[in-house]
Amino acid sequence: MATTPPSTPQQSGRNRLVVSGAWLPALVAAVAFLTLPFGRPGRAFFTFDPSFYPWSLGSPALWLVLGAALALLALSPLRLNTAVRGDLLLVVGSVGLAVGLGWFIATGVPFGIGAVVVLGGLGFAVGHALSESGRVQGDAFVASSILFVSLFIVLFIIYPLFTVLRAAVVVDGAFDLSQFQRTVTHPLFFFLDNPRSAIDEVGLTYRWGAAFAALSAAWAAFRRRSLPTIASRIVLGGLLGLIVGVMLYGRGALPTSLLTVAIVAPTCTLLGLAFALLGQRSRFAPVRRSLDVISVLPIITPPFILAFAMIFLLGRRGIITYNVFDLSSPFIFGIPGVAIAQILAFTPIAYLLLRGSISSLNPALEEAAQTLGADRWTTLRSITWPLVRPGLAAAFLLSMIESLADFGNPLILGGNRNFLATEVYLSLTGRFNPNEAAAYGVVLLALVLFAFFVQRWWLGGGSFVTVTGKPTSGVVTRIPVWLETTLTVVLVVWTIFVAALYLSIVVGSFAQLWGVNYTFTTRHYQDFMRAGWPVFLYTARVAAISAVPAMLLGFLVAYLVVRQRFWGRRFVEFGSLLSFATPGTVMGVAYIFAFNTGPWLMTASAAIIILALVFRNMPVAIRAAVAGLAQIDPSLEEASTMLRARSLTTMRRVVFPLLVNTLVTGLIFAFVSAMTAVSQVIFLVSPGNQLSTVLLLGWVEQGQLGRAAAMGTVLIVSMLFTIVVVLALARRIGTRLVGVEGR
Amino acid sequence: MKRLTIVLIAVVALLAGSASAQRVNLLCSPDLAWCEALGPAFTAATGIDLEFIRVSSQDALARLSAERANPIFDVWFGGTGDPHLIAMREGVTEFYEPEAWDDIIQNLKDQVGGTYIPLYAGAIGFVVNEEALGGAPMPTTWRDLTDPVYKGLIAMPDPNSSGTAYTILATLVQIFGEDEAFELLEGLHQNIAQYTSSGSAPGTLAGRGEVAIAIQFMHDGIKFANQGFPLTVYAPDEGVGYEIGGLSLVANAPNRDAAIAFINWALTPEAQQIAALQGDSFQIQSNANTVQHPLAPNFDEINLIDYDFDRFGTPEVREQIVGRWTNEIFPQPR
Repeated sequence: MATTPPSTPQQSGRNRLVVSGAWLPALVAAVAFLTLPFGRPGRAFFTFDPSFYPWSLGSPALWLVLGAALALLALSPLRLNTAVRGDLLLVVGSVGLAVGLGWFIATGVPFGIGAVVVLGGLGFAVGHALSESGRVQGDAFVASSILFVSLFIVLFIIYPLFTVLRAAVVVDGAFDLSQFQRTVTHPLFFFLDNPRSAIDEVGLTYRWGAAFAALSAAWAAFRRRSLPTIASRIVLGGLLGLIVGVMLYGRGALPTSLLTVAIVAPTCTLLGLAFALLGQRSRFAPVRRSLDVISVLPIITPPFILAFAMIFLLGRRGIITYNVFDLSSPFIFGIPGVAIAQILAFTPIAYLLLRGSISSLNPALEEAAQTLGADRWTTLRSITWPLVRPGLAAAFLLSMIESLADFGNPLILGGNRNFLATEVYLSLTGRFNPNEAAAYGVVLLALVLFAFFVQRWWLGGGSFVTVTGKPTSGVVTRIPVWLETTLTVVLVVWTIFVAALYLSIVVGSFAQLWGVNYTFTTRHYQDFMRAGWPVFLYTARVAAISAVPAMLLGFLVAYLVVRQRFWGRRFVEFGSLLSFATPGTVMGVAYIFAFNTGPWLMTASAAIIILALVFRNMPVAIRAAVAGLAQIDPSLEEASTMLRARSLTTMRRVVFPLLVNTLVTGLIFAFVSAMTAVSQVIFLVSPGNQLSTVLLLGWVEQGQLGRAAAMGTVLIVSMLFTIVVVLALARRIGTRLVGVEGR
Repeated sequence: MKRLTIVLIAVVALLAGSASAQRVNLLCSPDLAWCEALGPAFTAATGIDLEFIRVSSQDALARLSAERANPIFDVWFGGTGDPHLIAMREGVTEFYEPEAWDDIIQNLKDQVGGTYIPLYAGAIGFVVNEEALGGAPMPTTWRDLTDPVYKGLIAMPDPNSSGTAYTILATLVQIFGEDEAFELLEGLHQNIAQYTSSGSAPGTLAGRGEVAIAIQFMHDGIKFANQGFPLTVYAPDEGVGYEIGGLSLVANAPNRDAAIAFINWALTPEAQQIAALQGDSFQIQSNANTVQHPLAPNFDEINLIDYDFDRFGTPEVREQIVGRWTNEIFPQPR
């Protein structure tokens, strides 16, 4: 059956369109142009300064914007072929939009309230035009969505990152690579040859390279590969060996971060896989239930606090190390401590990703292979491995990105090693050098993108957003008893350790002096109520406000990317990937660079914090929505479209109710992540716009650990409560709306 | 989409529509408890609202420089002198002569000239947890710290991220001369367990026995000891350097009048006493008429070096010393 695009009936409808839908937004734009200030003098957004109305700004070019709006209004009712008229409107609207945006970039006047409405109106008008001209398949809603999503991605993701790139190579207004060069040749960044050490680092590194090259050559020869393959394996192996050598013997932020990643990412992936196996196939229900709790821990845990709990459990005077095992060593400071903290934090994330792929493993396939005479090893290699591979790769990549971007743990536990993500912060705050911060940011971003493209190449393409698992029904094969026992022991040890850590935070919050004097007191909670409660409430408000657009935008992006075909789809996908992959400190610095002066002046406002959080957490919602959409048959939407429902109606009446559970989950996770975010907002707080986590860092730095533990406890408990209650509510709402048993 | 726009506009409307009323925005660098105590007292005295953000002095300079074109803050309160000096030289702050100028301790005024207003003085010292020393003797000199018995027992801030650490380096350079100072730092490096990113964090570790000796400002150590940590605070025999904490008016401050009112209030003896009484801060206060708290270190009993603020406050000297530390000490294996 030839599938016709669902918009066919619309097209016939559109040809009868008497007046273009562009007239209303154009009218709004024109009215706003004449009644609202186009720019503003300073930070205050709602000022009606007479000198910032279009006629006082003294730029004739501005009248082109009004001209465009009026022209759109005049052209809309024209009795022309809809497509031709659409093209006409498109040109006029685009000119208006371009002139408006260009004017701001050229003059650097901060945008005013009028500009938002005028340009927004023109944007919707162009959306109508795009749809009517047939240049974008879909109705005006889809076209406008594409337009605005792209605009947002450019303005709030691409442009800020571009300013970082610029700051790394442009010093005092001139192109200058010397700052970048100085950063990457500085001992804080990387050095290998250390004349002050007894060992010969360079020689040892070469030896690692040679050893790896020889090993990979031998393996390739053993597998009887062709000569060119062997040669390429030698090169690859050699490179890998050199990298290993550099990580082991090099010093500075780069090798330190790389070595940490090399420890953390594989460990997290393996542990995540182990837990996923247990979670899906364990014989014991309590085991499966405890995993659900563990999986939400990292996102509800505020930064810094866990690192301190680790010091008090594993440090020189730690309860486990000193009081139980009688060890007294500061090993916790440095890579070991950071690695342990990160493994604790990111394994649950790996687990969540792998749970999907394990549950989508269809046991019937394995059975079939074995019936056909394949032995266990062949089955594993040819059936199980390819199915699990995307999940493993995603888990590996994610823990890698998280480890590289982690900011709180290295700051507290770094010892005498320094890390890339903290250097971004410290070079700006400790050495007042924005160019250096930008250079670190570029390196960090390059590493993350490199990892992403390697993963993509290894998986052979495929979309990052569409890697999800669908649960399958069927009899689940049990894992072997010895394996299950081992994994259960691992899980039990893990659970005890994590429980001890969280318990010690609670204990610390009620102790006179955490780590020294454990007399009971509520003093820290009183301090928290006095100094932290207003900030906590404010943070909750900002996080809640940011969660709604994050979820809606994420849903929209997911809908566009999964269900629509349009020019620039890859760009939207890549943009949202960037916002997710960019380490938080880099994005924070980027927002300072991009929004502190000039047309997009927004710093020192709640708006900038909200925007930073929206675009940071949007990918969470995207993932949730994509996973949800994958479970809905597109034919439902097609049916709705056939019945002449517009896409907005279809979305509201068909897709939305089916996805309530998913979307509420996305909403909650966006909210909770916003509550515990720190690195992306640390540079954006201002008087009156203070956030809990940034305050927490201040307390931690000042040694107010009791108070910090009190705030940490309040955050953890309230986040856990929110998740449990809202998810329970959502399940009931979802059940009522859809009328089926909730899963 | 429309709904989204409406939501966004509503959000912006909800949050951006604040401001107005007399208010001063404070960038506050000393102890948080002190910053917190300022607001209510200042509002009670003048009726002007006060909002603050606490950031370290390094962070503060970075923020003020970044926001220079469009200042958010009116006053920069407290924090090490060097960044105040740099801020003044770069035009980020301006010098304002307060009403209490004549009452400020002469020596402090002489040291900083007309660059910023001295707010307090604090000296570097040792903060020692005797129990955690495990039988090793209490160190009494800088040289003692290089003794291998203290291996893994010492914490100090990281010169690449903390102003306190720079004051320590500058102190050693002024006592021993640069080359000898770096020899000492090399020996010290062998004993360091952790270079912390913040200046007061070493005391947090020493108080809990994670390390035994913290090198930091004495007033921070006194604060921790006062909170109940088993810590002894004293200055080594060879002498110690000190800081003169600053108070600066931000150039082009958005609320200049309120800012000036705040500066004048902050230098009164009543306001300065808040530091120790409510703010957990035991620096020597700059107004000669302020009754110093009994716990505050007595500068007459400490061997204070003749700290050259002019030379060691310049960014070039700082960069040279920190750079040398980064190149020669930081790479040392342990």
